[in-house]
Order: sequence, then C-alpha cells, then structure tokens
Amino acid sequence: MPREEIPPGTLDLLILKTLARGEEMHGYEIARSIQRVSEDVLQVEEGSLYPALQRMLIKGWVKAEWGATAENRRARYYRLTAAGRKRLEAGVSQFRRVVQAITRVIQTA
Amino acid sequence: MRSLFAPLLERLSELGRRVRMLVRRERFDRELEDEMRLHREMKEREFVEAGVSREEAHYAARRRFGNATLLKESSRSAWGWTWLEDTVQDVRYAFRSLRRNPGFVSVVVFSLALGIGANSTIFSVMNALLYRPLPYHGADRLAAIWETPLGHADQRQAPPIAELLDWRKQNHVFEDIALTSGTESSILSGTDGPEPIRIQDVTPNFFDLLGMKPILGRIFTADEMQELTQTVILSDSFWKRHFNGAPDVLGKSFTNHNTGIVSTIVGIMPPGFAPFYGEPVDLWQPINPASRRYSARQDHWLMPVARLKPGVTLAQAQTEMDVIARRLEQTYPATNKGIGKKLQPLHEALFGWARQPLYPLLGAVAFVLLIACANVANLLLSRTETRRNEYAVRASLGAGRRRLMQQLFAESGLLALLGGALGVVLSYWGIQLFRALAGEFPASGSINIDARVLLFTLGISLLTALVFGLAPAVQASNPNLNNALREAAGRTSSGSRSLTRHALAASEVALSMVLLVGAGLMITSILRLQKVDPGFDAANLLTMQIRLPEGGKYMQRVPGGDMERASPQVTAFHREVLDRISSLPGVESVASATGLPMHFSEGYTFSILRHPAPPPDQRPRAGYTEVSPDFFRTLKIPLKKGRYLDDHDTEAAPWAVVVNETFAHRFFPNEDPIGQQLLLRYDPYPVNEERPRQIVGVVGDIKQYGLPRPAPPFIYASYLQQPAVYPGGAIVAHLWKDLAIRTASGARPQDLPAAVKKIVAALDPDQPVTNVMTMDKLLDESLEDTRFYMRVLGIFAGMAVLLALMGIYGVMSYFVNERTREIGIRVALGAQSADVLSMVVKTGLRLALIGIAVGIVLALGVTRLIASILYGVKPTDPITYGAVAVSLITVALLACFLPARRATKVDPMVALRYE
Repeated sequence: MPREEIPPGTLDLLILKTLARGEEMHGYEIARSIQRVSEDVLQVEEGSLYPALQRMLIKGWVKAEWGATAENRRARYYRLTAAGRKRLEAGVSQFRRVVQAITRVIQTA
Repeated sequence: MRSLFAPLLERLSELGRRVRMLVRRERFDRELEDEMRLHREMKEREFVEAGVSREEAHYAARRRFGNATLLKESSRSAWGWTWLEDTVQDVRYAFRSLRRNPGFVSVVVFSLALGIGANSTIFSVMNALLYRPLPYHGADRLAAIWETPLGHADQRQAPPIAELLDWRKQNHVFEDIALTSGTESSILSGTDGPEPIRIQDVTPNFFDLLGMKPILGRIFTADEMQELTQTVILSDSFWKRHFNGAPDVLGKSFTNHNTGIVSTIVGIMPPGFAPFYGEPVDLWQPINPASRRYSARQDHWLMPVARLKPGVTLAQAQTEMDVIARRLEQTYPATNKGIGKKLQPLHEALFGWARQPLYPLLGAVAFVLLIACANVANLLLSRTETRRNEYAVRASLGAGRRRLMQQLFAESGLLALLGGALGVVLSYWGIQLFRALAGEFPASGSINIDARVLLFTLGISLLTALVFGLAPAVQASNPNLNNALREAAGRTSSGSRSLTRHALAASEVALSMVLLVGAGLMITSILRLQKVDPGFDAANLLTMQIRLPEGGKYMQRVPGGDMERASPQVTAFHREVLDRISSLPGVESVASATGLPMHFSEGYTFSILRHPAPPPDQRPRAGYTEVSPDFFRTLKIPLKKGRYLDDHDTEAAPWAVVVNETFAHRFFPNEDPIGQQLLLRYDPYPVNEERPRQIVGVVGDIKQYGLPRPAPPFIYASYLQQPAVYPGGAIVAHLWKDLAIRTASGARPQDLPAAVKKIVAALDPDQPVTNVMTMDKLLDESLEDTRFYMRVLGIFAGMAVLLALMGIYGVMSYFVNERTREIGIRVALGAQSADVLSMVVKTGLRLALIGIAVGIVLALGVTRLIASILYGVKPTDPITYGAVAVSLITVALLACFLPARRATKVDPMVALRYE
C-alpha cells in the first residue's frame, strides 16, 4: 500500500476524530490508530504530531494527563474536551463541504 | 449573554494555559522528552516485531523522529514563548561573553555613562523647570493673564489691580482669578534688631485658587486689606522660627516698628508652600482690589492667576478676554486705550524663560552622547571583527540572520543599560555640580532624579543601544561564511569595515569640534567682557544698600489714591549718613544712588519743553536714578559738557539734571542739550512732575544694565531736588539708596562696613545695612550667567575631547594591529622607523582633518543658537575656529602617539612568523 502525506490542516481533524471515540490515548497510539484506520495509507509524521498536540492543548481542544501503559510505563494520555468535540464537528462539516466541492470540480473537468 | 463572552473567556483561558506553560517550562521540557522517548521505543519495538534487527530498529526509529531538538523546539514554539526564551538566552549569553572582557566593558560603560549622565543631568533640570507639573491641584488649568501695552502687542505687563473686579464680573470661562506679587524683601523690626524677611501680597482667594489649605487657622477674608492694621498668614518655617511652632499663635499680633503696621496672625500655611518664585516666603499680606487705593488703575505690579473652568480651553478663554479688553477700553478710555489681554499657561509664564538657555545645553549633551555612541560603536566593531569566526560558526550551525542580530543587540542593550545605570549615579553628582555652577535660580532646589528622569534615562539608554549597536549587528549578521572560515586567523578586514571605523572616529572629531567651538566662543566672550570699560573706575569702591522702609516715619500714604508723601526725614537721613561716612578715615569720597550700575533702576518717560509733544504711546523713555551730587566724582564718571550736579542744586534752586552722552546724542542730535528742559513722568501714571528739570551737564556713558549691554539713555537727578508726593511706588527711588564709597588705595575697606553700620544704627536702630560688596565683585558677578555657560559648555567640550581621544586611540591601535604584518614586511624591506611612524601618523591626521572639516561646517550651522549670549565675538570667529582646529590636531597626534610607537617597535621576524 503506498503511503500518503496527510494534507495540511487535516492532521488536527484526524487526531480529534481518533480521540472522539472516547478512549484516552498517548501519542504513539494516536499515530498507530490513524495508520490502522486509514489502512496504512496515512502515515503520521512524529515531527508534526507533537507540535500539533501542543497546539491543541493551547486551544483547549484536548486535555493531557499522565498515566501508565499496559506495561506500566509512564505515558501522557490525551482526551477530547467539549471544545474539542465542537471543533471536530465544525471541522468535519467544513471538510465535507470542501471535499464535495473539489469532487464536483474534478468531475466536471 | 454567554455567547458574547465565550470568545473572550476562551482567549483568557488560553492565555492562562500559555502562562502556566511558561512558568513550568522545565517540567514541560522533561515531560515532552519522556513522551517522545516512549513513542520512539514503541516504534523501535514495532520494527523489531516486524523482523528488523534490534540495532537497525533503534536507528530507524531515531531517523523517523528526525532532529529531536528541532522537534522539541517546534513543539515548544506552539506555546508562543520562543521570543522570550530567546531573549533570556541572549541576555544570559551576553552576560557571559561580556564578563570575559572586563576591560572592554568598563571602557564602554564608562563612555556611555558619561554621555547618558550628562543628558540625564540636563534633562533633570529641564524636568524640574519645564516638564514637571506645578505642585498645585489641577495645575494644568492655571493661567497667567497679562496686559499688552498700547502699541506693543508683544510685551507683557501686569494689569491694574482694580481690573480684577471687572474681569471677575464679566467672564464666563474662569472658576476664579487671584492676584499675587512676587516675593518681596522687607525688614521686620522688633525684638532682636532688624531682620530681612520675604513677603508676598495676595488677594484673599489666592490660596483657594491653588487648592491650598492652612494647617492652622484660616485664610484671609475678602475685606481684609493692607492698611495700618492687617491680618497676616505665616509660612510654616517662619512660624517655627519665631513662635517655636506654638499652636496658640493665632490671634497674636506684632507691630513693625518701621512701618507702624500692626499685623494679626490668622493662619499658618503648610511646609514648603512658597508659590512660584523658588524663594521661601515668610508671610502673606492681603490685598483688597476693591480698596479706594487702587481706584486710579495705575498700579501694575500684581500678576493675575486664573483657574479655567473644566473643559474650557486656553483659546476660548483668550477670546473671552479679548472681548473684555475691548469693553474695558470703552469703559476706561483714559487707562485702557489700546490695551490688550494675553493669556499664558501659568507654567509657561513662570518658567518659559528656561527654554532659551537650556535647549542649547541639551543639544550640547546630545552631541556628547553621540560621540560616546560613535566611540562604543567603534569598540564593538573591533570586537565583532575579532569574533567573526564565532559568528560564522554559529551561522553555519543554523543560527538565523535575525537571531545573530538579536544576539548582538542583546549585548548592546546590556551595555547601554549598565551605562544608563552608572549614568544615573553620575547625574546625581551632575545635578550638584550644575547647581553649584548656576548659582541661585528659581526652582533650583526642586531638581532631582524622579520617575520621569529615570524613564528618560532608560529611553535614551535603549536608544543609544540601537544607535551604537546597529553597525556591529549588521556587520555580524552578514559574516560571509566562506571568507570568514577560510581566513581562519581573520587577520585582514575588508576595506569597507575599516572605512566605517575611520568614519566613526572622524565624526567624533567633528562633533567635538562643534562643542569646542561653542566653549571657545564663550571663553572669548568672557575675555572680551572682562575688558569692557564700564564707564567708571570700579577699583577701590565699596558698595552697600540702605533701604528705608515704605511706611512708618519715612512715608505717609495720601488718602484717596495711590500717592505717597515722603517725610522730610528721608533727605535728612541720607544727607547725615553721607556726611558722617565722608569723615571716616580712609574714605576719599562717598555718594549714593538708587541703583548703582548692574543694579535695578527706574525708567521715566519725558517730554522736552519747546519740542512738539510726542503721542502718548510714543513718549521717549530713559533710565532714571536719584543720586547725591558727589556721585560722578566718586565713581569717576567723566564730564563731557556743562557741569556736574553740586550742592547748590537745592530744593529752592531750579531743578537740575545731568544726562549721559547716549541721551544727548539720541534726543538732541542737532542741538545743544545744555539748558534744555525736561518734564518727567512716571509712566503709566499719567501726570507729569510738578516742575521741569533743566539739563546742566552731559557725562560719559556707564554700563548701567550690565557689561554686555549698551548704555541706555540716562537721566541723573539730585536727591535734594525731589517732589513731596510720588505716584504709585515711584517713592522707592527716594527711599532706597545704594552707597558707593571710594577708599584711599592704601586703606583697608574691611573695617568700613562696621563703621557705616554704626553710623546708621546711631541714626535709626531699626535700619539695616545690606549687600556689602566691592564694586569689582559686583561687576564680576554680573558676568555670572555668561561664565556659567562657559563652564558648562567647557565641561561638555572636555568630555567630548576625552571621548574623541579614546576613539582615535582605539581606531589607530586597531589600525596598527591590523597591519603588523604589513609593517613587518616594510621594515624587512628596509623601511626606517620614521617611515613607519609617518604612515600611522598620516592616517590619524587624515582622520582628524576630515573630522575638523566636517566639524567646521556643523559648527557654522549650530553656533548661531548661542549667538545671543556671545559678546564681542561672532559665531563664525575664525580665530576661535583656528585655535580649536589646532588643539584637535594636537589631540589626534596625542592619540596616535602610543599606537605609532608600537608600530615602530614591530619586529619583522616576529610579525612574519605570526603568519
């Protein structure tokens, strides 16, 4: 399966959606989950994952808490906040509109 | 509602999170690292599970993370504090790198501190006089109201006292208007001999207008007026001095034995309250503008101070006063025809004069600071030059251009702040020095380092950092990696860089030139002034003042107007004093005058009998003084025509006057002045003297108003030929006498004052003798202002030269270092030490000459600013310019000396091996 770059601006959306399933996850799990759900098409670059998480912490879309992994290792777990959920909804509907519009343009051509 | 505030709340909580992050950033860093390590290890395991060897998995995981530091930084930058952390880092770095160069730092900081300290000192003077609000409640709404005399809209004078009532009735723009006198000297006599005190005459509402309340008792009521009994308010210091601060002082009264006025104390003002003139006030007397005494509207000696209603602008108030002025012209045509009114912010009225002397000084210190900046820029440039490798390495390791500049500016800023801090300390002494040099002037006591001065110092410190840090920062940020790294030793510098350095040193010379020319012109002025012939012989003359009081046994007020009658005792007293002094041993002659040269004197307008009468607004005016007949012989003023006054000019004889040459030439250009008759008038009092005065002699001019000023036309009348009744205040010319005593050249004048005091005390025990001073000293003191300016400019010029000397020395040292190898080759090829010497000296001289050329042009433009305080020398005086140029060349040679000597000692072997 070829790997694709994540289009700019959509990484936030993917992270929020991943967390929206209700589980708390640490960074590695988020990256793995996106990769798995996208059937290995989307590869999350570590170089952009952590800055993105920091950005979302500032915005208050996610919260972070330290916890222990299954193997009892210290990890920072991220969780969606109400503001994050709102942002996700707005982001998804905006994304849909853009994709539909792009699709229409491509099909017409 | 909630939706309205939601975005705001969001921003606030976001800010809160950012701040939390800043506070705990070390923990944050650690946590981020932990988080990423976990991620990396899990990735590693993932690879291992996929069948990659352990070692390879380790590197693969690392590779995926890329530059861990960069990643960490970009994560951190999300929180928006990078700039702050960078700055902190830069400052810390600057500290470290400066600490390694204490010599460099101390030279730089000292240069800057000199420049900044000088600026802070001058600014603190300007602050106290011009910028700090007056210490009264709502001081920005206080304004002075002047009147402009007929035909002289640019002049200001105090309006008649009674007009206050009209203004109050007719205006809608002021909350209130009060009147105040200046601080007047008076004599309090009573218990322990005569004591000089300072009093201020004010209308009762004066204190309310300024928002001041007494600490004890009350202020004046509206109908308390200055007559034979009056109420007074004491100053805190007078109360403590005379009544030990006793609270039962209210209601006590004391009698002035001289004036006979009984004064009852009704209030005490708070400590430090002494409005407007920078002098302590001992007591306040009430003025009642409604008094019949002022109904003639001739008394122009009280300044009106008004408080604008809130929201009323000065322009609106001026418009209203213009209307009132026109209305008053119609109501009182005799006194108010053509009289205008002029409003001025009170602060401006009291201290506006300070701008003219202070702005040139601020300009001078700005120059000193510029020189210091050029100096420091040069030192920094040399330093950056030697650190080029460092910058090149940092740039190649990824430091951005902006970051490099920022780093350099952090260093400059740190240096400037250190310089500023030391500058504040220096300005503390600077202020003391300024006070010592300037002598007494209003508000000189209130000069201090307050928040505004500190802010100013901080401001100019940062500004200087920008000025002197710019060239080095630009230079460092453009390190041209290739060259820098290739010439590992960094021994040669490009032409443009040494050009910058030399240009900076030349500009230091140019700026010093301007200051030196300024100081030189002042010195020339002083030298010229000291040679000015005052028109009389000042040697062996002792002067002192006897001011008879305006009241009591010497003067009676004529009821129903502003006229005063002198008692015959006045003339008798003066004559007796002169007679007794003249028979003292060692006294050659003695004379009295109202206003010796350099002192105050009255002015009278006059008309000439049998000449066409001048229009009332163009009456000729001349200086006037009442002298004893021996005045001319005692001062040795030459007789040009006719005769001196003498003892035959008595009350019964025709009134005689002597005029000076300027008077004779101006008013009788084509006639013989002798025999002409003058009718004097104490303008603006509209009545002539009762008898004409005949000119009997013409004497030489004397510099009555100071050595730099041309002699005014002048009339001398005998104190024996005076009217019985004087209009509005003119009587002081009869009461106040300055004595001039000519001593035999061998006699010791030290014993004289005591002898004179004994004579006066025998005649009137309450009468003090004051201001004992030799005439030489009096003349000398009249030059104090000019001398002050000379000293201050001299100090600044000295600082400038010192800085320029350091600057040239620095550049030349660098020049020699840079060329050690070249010099070595030359010497190896047979150059003599004279050749080497001339190479260095020529470079230094060229630099100085360029600086001098530019400096001359600058000085020609700038010295015009002090033209008004120069005497006998033009701002373009070629001799001064030449002398300054020569001395600057000497300074430049001096600065070249050490580097040049070092150059001649270059050992070619050592220089070339250094390769």
